[in-house]
Amino acid sequence: MIAARRVPKPFRLEPYVAFASRAMAREATYRFDVFTSIASVLVRVYLLRMVWIALYARNAAPKELPLHAIITYSTVALLMGLVMDIDQTRSLHDRLHDGSIASDFMKPIVVPLYFFADGTGEVLFHALLIVPSLGLALFLVHIDVPDAATLGAFALSFLLGYFVGFFINFILNCTAFWTLEISAVQMIVTWVSDLLGGELVPLVFFPLALQKVVVVLPFAAMFSTPLLIYTGVIPRAGWPGALAVQAAWVVLLGGISALLWRAGTKRIVVQGG
Amino acid sequence: MRRARVMWNVYVQYWRINVLTMLEYRANFLMWSVFTVVYHGAAIGALWIVLTRFPQMNGWTFRDMAFLYALWMLAHAIHNTFFATVGEVPEHIRDGEFDRLLIRPLDTLFQAIATPGEVFPDELILALITFVAAAIFAHLRVDALFLLLVPLIAIGGALIDLAFNLVISTVAFWFVRVDALRWIVVQLEQEFTRYPITIYSRGVRLLLTFVVPFAFMNYYPARFFLHKVHEGAVLPAPVGLITPAIGVVFVAVAYAFWRFGLVRYQGVGH
Repeated sequence: MIAARRVPKPFRLEPYVAFASRAMAREATYRFDVFTSIASVLVRVYLLRMVWIALYARNAAPKELPLHAIITYSTVALLMGLVMDIDQTRSLHDRLHDGSIASDFMKPIVVPLYFFADGTGEVLFHALLIVPSLGLALFLVHIDVPDAATLGAFALSFLLGYFVGFFINFILNCTAFWTLEISAVQMIVTWVSDLLGGELVPLVFFPLALQKVVVVLPFAAMFSTPLLIYTGVIPRAGWPGALAVQAAWVVLLGGISALLWRAGTKRIVVQGG
Repeated sequence: MRRARVMWNVYVQYWRINVLTMLEYRANFLMWSVFTVVYHGAAIGALWIVLTRFPQMNGWTFRDMAFLYALWMLAHAIHNTFFATVGEVPEHIRDGEFDRLLIRPLDTLFQAIATPGEVFPDELILALITFVAAAIFAHLRVDALFLLLVPLIAIGGALIDLAFNLVISTVAFWFVRVDALRWIVVQLEQEFTRYPITIYSRGVRLLLTFVVPFAFMNYYPARFFLHKVHEGAVLPAPVGLITPAIGVVFVAVAYAFWRFGLVRYQGVGH
């Protein structure tokens, strides 16, 4: 019965800050991953630059995204990927797998918040990698820098997109309460979200019928919306609407996450941990 | 002769264990098969989306690009089905398992290839279906010559894949961790074979032709089959037919390097 019992204690933030900073330190020890993350971004920046140049050279350029804008779009998308493509709550899945989650429930902490803090630390470390990646990418490409207001809206949209990604990820890892092996499912969702989220190809290039489908999926809120704000495809007047849709996704997916978490933790009690 | 019989029997057992593993973990096998479909589906889907908006890429339409992808996929799937286990050698070196292969009375590389694992033929089946569909879609003339050349070129492409897989695994005899090296080569292969190499700068074209000849897995043969004679891409069109020879040469060099490494291998100290 340990699992379901709530421990009423005054809430303190410090432990979670400590969890996050420990996660950052842990990530920093995987130097190989750091190297490949940055190298991967650079290789893809080069590749996508060549691809778009070839496509724009012999076809009529779409007016909403001229060549310099699409190269900016791709480069910013790849840099965002450094943060967005992380499986932040993998440890939830792992701890369900080996059963060590039982001891987490005995600690005087809010367990979902622990996973959030741990994931945030990991993400913050990877966010630091954006700086050297961007610096090196600028040797390969020139990217547009919008005005301060647009950058601010982009940052807000990126943050909302991050939460959409976080909750999708959390929901997937929560399914480990019921089924144990989910790596394949996660890979499938990652691949689908990369394509349908507009990370590889802007959604405005999709055939119209397909566009109607992808804009109602949550993936568009992860990559497409921030990127379209950055490149000015979504004009200033469209910002509130676009951000509201993202916020709605955060609320909806956050709600589903909470329900799944509650149902899952009850189940753990039934199993005896 | 007797030796060949023994090896054949071992190889049959290897596939028997793989199939039994597949049947034992049916749900897992099914999910990974779905992933294989999604993985290649997303790649082809991205090409399709881009090429509905931009009708051509340096003279290549979606039909051409789909064939280019399918040809690479076929070669790559042959490699993944029959030789992917070679890529696990560094891991076996790390955990000491590899040393067991050295004291058995069969060729070490053969044993490495025939180490059972989660090896399923789903990708190869998917690749065959995709290839047939792409060939029809690209309006290729299917004659006896085509039917003779395609398997040779696909196997040649698989050998190119194997050669690099083997070289990287051999490097692990000296440097136990080779993940970074493998990762770079994999990325070069998977992403850069997706487009006609004429879109790259001269240095990258030369690299993909002479140093890591992934362009021979699909670009040069596809250009031959699609009759794209007038592309100024390093080498002339008929060169697309020498893929099997390139595969054999690269595997021979890789195997020599493997032998060289094997006699100097000292273990990691278990």
